[in-house]
Amino acid sequence: MSADNHNIAYLCTGKICENGLADKVAMRWISPQFERTDVTFAELDEQSNRFANVLSSLGMGKGDLLCTFLPKCMEQFFVFLGSLKREMITGTLFSNFGEDALLDRLGDSGAQVLVTKRSLYKKVERIRPRLPHLRHVILVDVADHLADDVLSYARLMDAAAATFETPATSAGTPSVLHYTSGSTGKPKGVLHRHGSILQQSRTCREVLGLTPDDIFWCTADQGWVTGTSYGIIGPWSLGVTQVHYGGGYDAGNWMDLLAGEGVTVWYTAPTALRMLMREDGETYEGVDLPALRHICSVGEPLNPEVMTWAGKTFGREIYDTWFQTETGAIMIANRPGLPVRPGSMGTRISGVEPAIVADDGTICSPGEHGNLCVKQGWDSMFITYLNNPTAYASKFRNGYYHTGDMAWQDEDGYFWFLGRSDDVINTSGHLVSPFEVESALLELPEVAESGVIGVPDELLFEKVVAYVHFHRGIDLTAELELKIRIHVANRLSSLAIPQEVIGVPSVPKNKSGKIMRRVLKAQYLGQDAGDISTLEE
Amino acid sequence: MITLEMLNPIFRQVFDDESIVLTRSTTADDIEEWDSLTHMNLVIALELGFKIKFALGELQRLKNVGEMLDLINRKLA
Repeated sequence: MSADNHNIAYLCTGKICENGLADKVAMRWISPQFERTDVTFAELDEQSNRFANVLSSLGMGKGDLLCTFLPKCMEQFFVFLGSLKREMITGTLFSNFGEDALLDRLGDSGAQVLVTKRSLYKKVERIRPRLPHLRHVILVDVADHLADDVLSYARLMDAAAATFETPATSAGTPSVLHYTSGSTGKPKGVLHRHGSILQQSRTCREVLGLTPDDIFWCTADQGWVTGTSYGIIGPWSLGVTQVHYGGGYDAGNWMDLLAGEGVTVWYTAPTALRMLMREDGETYEGVDLPALRHICSVGEPLNPEVMTWAGKTFGREIYDTWFQTETGAIMIANRPGLPVRPGSMGTRISGVEPAIVADDGTICSPGEHGNLCVKQGWDSMFITYLNNPTAYASKFRNGYYHTGDMAWQDEDGYFWFLGRSDDVINTSGHLVSPFEVESALLELPEVAESGVIGVPDELLFEKVVAYVHFHRGIDLTAELELKIRIHVANRLSSLAIPQEVIGVPSVPKNKSGKIMRRVLKAQYLGQDAGDISTLEE
Repeated sequence: MITLEMLNPIFRQVFDDESIVLTRSTTADDIEEWDSLTHMNLVIALELGFKIKFALGELQRLKNVGEMLDLINRKLA
């Protein structure tokens, strides 16, 4: 095996075994019923080898594209690593996506292989005629093949060899694909490269503070970048044992898991921490977490009150971290050894050069507000938006990647988040496109037009609010609001559900017909809407 | 008296899944789409369907559909 092999899956499995950790537990899988299954690095290597061989037997190879559409389950990890060993581009789709969200992503990516569950495949079946590239569907929970192109994972894995020679993979080889939402247009496919593992591994050491003896739990779903960069790649590249839990949010279960598994480093999201903060105090009575060293958080800014609560409840510090799907790994962070300034994003990570840049391209002085940018060239920088090089190019100016976030930096190098420079909604740490929600709403016969915004929310950071102009004779009733909520959940995802629906006689637009969301936001917040000279009369 | 058969169509509508067949032991872990956000849709659908009101977090404390059914029937009694 070449010393400069950057293959993510090899570095997370075979290489770890070669380093003498074959018998170490890589993953402690906890089912929703709290049944425990340990998977060693040798087993992780073998299972991913088998899946790489499965892909070979199906005629799939370097540069082809596989997506998973799975809830939390062990197969997710074997498939993800096996696909990367085969040098396929590997996308993970959030299992709560509805038909429209699936069609956008599977259609744009041209995925030839989809790995899913029987219950989720029903959604795919309805759109499959519109997915001409999709050649093989593999179901993880059927014992036998259902059709020539709907195959049983178990059958395929049984027939596959346990060894696989992972090719020497260059750092620039495309690897992981995640879709992200923008303020306009369809979601964009953020494509990473195998070399991203350098930054993911480095930040696991420098920010999360992981050491070989740690038991690490990242609560993120593998459908999002945190779930792959820090729920798979980074920790396993260091040979760290990860806990993965198949159940959803439940404060009691989470406390049992933290205590029972002896989790030492816990990476979670502010929304989850705020949900924990709202639980009855008795939830934490008797909870003892002697193994837990610290907690890290990602997704949205962490409120100082949450930090205070966690300090009192768990007796541990929370380190807020910042990155995006496009950056692939943590760029700015609070971390052990760095004095925490509550509310701050932290300071830059080694190998990364973030800066605050004014609209005219000049670098801002400390204290000045501007665009949060990152000097291009970091190891985990995305390599393109799939099928959209124009959008990719538009993100880079004067050698800096423009994140779309607004921030400022203090004299000591700490960054402070201000907000987004566009209309994208950050709800529970996930980006939601107002355009996609508006498009879904227009599918309802009652809706004439709509404008969707994000407004501050104590639990979700931002919540989705839909201003809807209904057709003549239609009134907003509780039944219609429920219909809207269910429709959005089933077409897009539960994250995009409008938490408020407000009926309006018209939606403000400028003279070229563009929805003026800032006017709606000002109206909702009771603020001055600013310049409305371009508003259509 | 509300029965599982009466809850079933509401679950199928909310979670867009015609194959859902509820039992008293069904939990959120058995239905892929059931998360904290779609849970609110379920709450609204149950409130509208049975003309009842749930207190904040009342449903979240329940262990399974059987307990949910019992709670609904207590409210209707």
